[in-house]
Amino acid sequence: MTSTLSRSRQAPPAPRPTAPAPQRLTFRQRLNRWDVLLSPYLYVSPFFLLFALVGLFPLGYTLVVSLNDWNLLTGPGEWVGLGNFTAELADPLFWNSLFNTMSIFVISAVPQLVLGLVIAAVLDQNLRAKTFWRMSVLLPYVVTPVAVALIFSNMFGEKYGLVNNLLVGLGLDPVMWKTELWPSHFAIAAMVDWRWTGYNALILLAAMQAVPKDIHESAAIDGAGAVRRFFSITIPSIRPTLIFVVITMTIGSLQIFAEPKLFNATTATPGGPHREYQTTVLYLWDLAFQRQSFGKAAAVAWLLFLLIVIIGLVNFLLSQRIASGSSPRERRRGRRAPEGRDALTSAPTYAEIQQRGL
Amino acid sequence: MNLSRRTRVATAVAGAAAFALLATGCSSGGGSNGSGDSGGDITLTVTTFGTMGFDDLYQEYEDAHPGITIKATNIDTGDNARTDWQTKVAAGSGLPDVQAVEEGWLGLVMQVSDQFNDLSDYGADEIKDRWVPWKLQQATDPDGRIIGYGTDIGPEGLCYNGKLFEQAGLPSDRESVAALFGGADATWDQFFAVGKQYHEATGKAFYDHSGFVWNAMVNQQPEGYYTKDGDLNVEDNANLKALWAQLADGAATGLSDNQTAWDWGGGKAFTDGSFATFMCPGWMLGVVKGQVTAGGGDATTGWDFADVFPGGPANWGGSFLTVPTQSKHPKEAAELAQWMTDPAQQAKAFQAAGVFPSTTEAQADPGVTGESDLTKFFNNAPIGEILAKRAEGVAAQFKGPDDSIIQSQVFGPSIQELDSGKADGTQAWKDAMDLLDQLVVNK
Repeated sequence: MTSTLSRSRQAPPAPRPTAPAPQRLTFRQRLNRWDVLLSPYLYVSPFFLLFALVGLFPLGYTLVVSLNDWNLLTGPGEWVGLGNFTAELADPLFWNSLFNTMSIFVISAVPQLVLGLVIAAVLDQNLRAKTFWRMSVLLPYVVTPVAVALIFSNMFGEKYGLVNNLLVGLGLDPVMWKTELWPSHFAIAAMVDWRWTGYNALILLAAMQAVPKDIHESAAIDGAGAVRRFFSITIPSIRPTLIFVVITMTIGSLQIFAEPKLFNATTATPGGPHREYQTTVLYLWDLAFQRQSFGKAAAVAWLLFLLIVIIGLVNFLLSQRIASGSSPRERRRGRRAPEGRDALTSAPTYAEIQQRGL
Repeated sequence: MNLSRRTRVATAVAGAAAFALLATGCSSGGGSNGSGDSGGDITLTVTTFGTMGFDDLYQEYEDAHPGITIKATNIDTGDNARTDWQTKVAAGSGLPDVQAVEEGWLGLVMQVSDQFNDLSDYGADEIKDRWVPWKLQQATDPDGRIIGYGTDIGPEGLCYNGKLFEQAGLPSDRESVAALFGGADATWDQFFAVGKQYHEATGKAFYDHSGFVWNAMVNQQPEGYYTKDGDLNVEDNANLKALWAQLADGAATGLSDNQTAWDWGGGKAFTDGSFATFMCPGWMLGVVKGQVTAGGGDATTGWDFADVFPGGPANWGGSFLTVPTQSKHPKEAAELAQWMTDPAQQAKAFQAAGVFPSTTEAQADPGVTGESDLTKFFNNAPIGEILAKRAEGVAAQFKGPDDSIIQSQVFGPSIQELDSGKADGTQAWKDAMDLLDQLVVNK
């Protein structure tokens, strides 16, 4: 408040012609001027200081580690330049971990989006006890991932698990959930979905509620059924949100660790005996803390970071395109679409959120 | 297949604790609270893992040493404790005053043996005759510094289920079972032959999974994955290859139950007759008891402990108490470590957790040779006496820096291939060698 006032008071002498002005300022006035100039930076500085401490510094330190032949126990060895990076890019186990990560992402993302949309659409109806239902879908999100992983790990036990018991009870063959590629990916995706579907459903619901009702009404008058309206109005209108959800899902999936680590907590090779579900972060952990290759682990961390930056940029470009309305779908739909988008005014916000998230 | 010792019954908790560790590990700060060395109160921090039988000893020590407070942390598994330890070595802070170290990490420990205090500076030389010689030798680094006091050793005997043996028409009392496997000259050939006999009679598996068998086979050789001079020797090691062929043949015949080690279906595998024998170092007896109990069984489930082991004496695991150089009170910490590994305390730890003493005096202690809850559980088997006999002739094997990686990540996957029938012995060996190249040779 004071700074605002003081600025208006100081405004007249500000034009430069009267050069000796600063000398005439009292200490108090000077304090005021510094206040105006510096305070805003001071107010925003905690974030940047913290970010420098826990974000930038580790990032830089990791880079230094990644350029050395660094053993976890014995410490820095020889300077190897980009040797760790080239070694990792040539290591089939690194690519295996990337494949697993992407595979688990796809297997989890598709049902998660579809289910999330359906749940959101249902919650968007005129339900009794709305808040109850909305909070209920968020419940799995509240449970810690470790607990989720332990419960699912038990359920998907190969010999004594609930799921296989049911399968055998139905006269089917038991599935090797923890030692085979696709079953293990499916099981981990199930874990991820259980935790995140409700969360994403709520985000989608928020977007759906911003879709103007009059569009729906006029479409209904034109004879469009509920399903037709869902696909032709609701989904196109919430597309920016959908993309936001997909991108956050991608970034989350790239960093997936707890679920595969605890899915079979007793295996000596984290991520399954043959690394069937060893994700990139798990691979990184294994490199650093079991195989003592701290340098290579740091290189993997950086590669992962770069990958996430690339995905973030793709997201940024996508959001920009949507914001500028150059999507072919919207052009085709003509006049009605911009209205819907204006009502949403969401695309730039998501882009901002995304930037901050990075 | 996780070959770290002493995983507790609820292995599921393992991961959860690992995460708790990450959280608490960061905040636990330096070794001691540094409230002054002279006269003032001293807090000693101790980190152990699994079931080491120390829980009641801390209070006793505090009572006898006014001014000393012990803050003990127990980590659930050896693997998690190793991660904890090496992270703190890497960070250069956070290690406790007394750190328990497992035999399996010795290869790692010896790389950084200068991070541990030489206990000779605190009176280790006067008491070094206490231990069986190979235990002391394991704790001595290449420069001749004694960096750890031995707690227990892991001589292996054979756990078997008497009831299942009976149903298969095999003898079931301890002496006859020992004789069945060949007594003092028990061989793996004979073990697999009996296994096949059992399998033909019952159609069931003989042992839980091949990992522990392979572990015992490798551990009892004069040289394992490394030569005595520290050179890697796996690929052209005819000895290991021959053992692998035996293991593969056993798995192909259906002798392995392909269980997930340290999980065992929450103990059910021990009670539903899935397998009839189990590789049992001393500390494993407590694990078996825990698993059987968790699986809803008790002493009547039929588990027994025989004074025999295929292929001769074998040792698996055993720990040491060390004093990291990070400790601010090395003198007091060394005193505590010395007291805790004293024969009298080793006998108490054995009674509490079945960890077999590494000092000769404690091995003969009536507390070790006598009855306990554990002996009652194993059909009144004289566990202490049997383990003392099983310890005879055990020799320390050189453990190289990548020993645990070779055991767990190189051979682990191949053992799983054998057990699940995904590959035959030749293919599985080849796969292991590929991994060896990838993970160890060309790292």
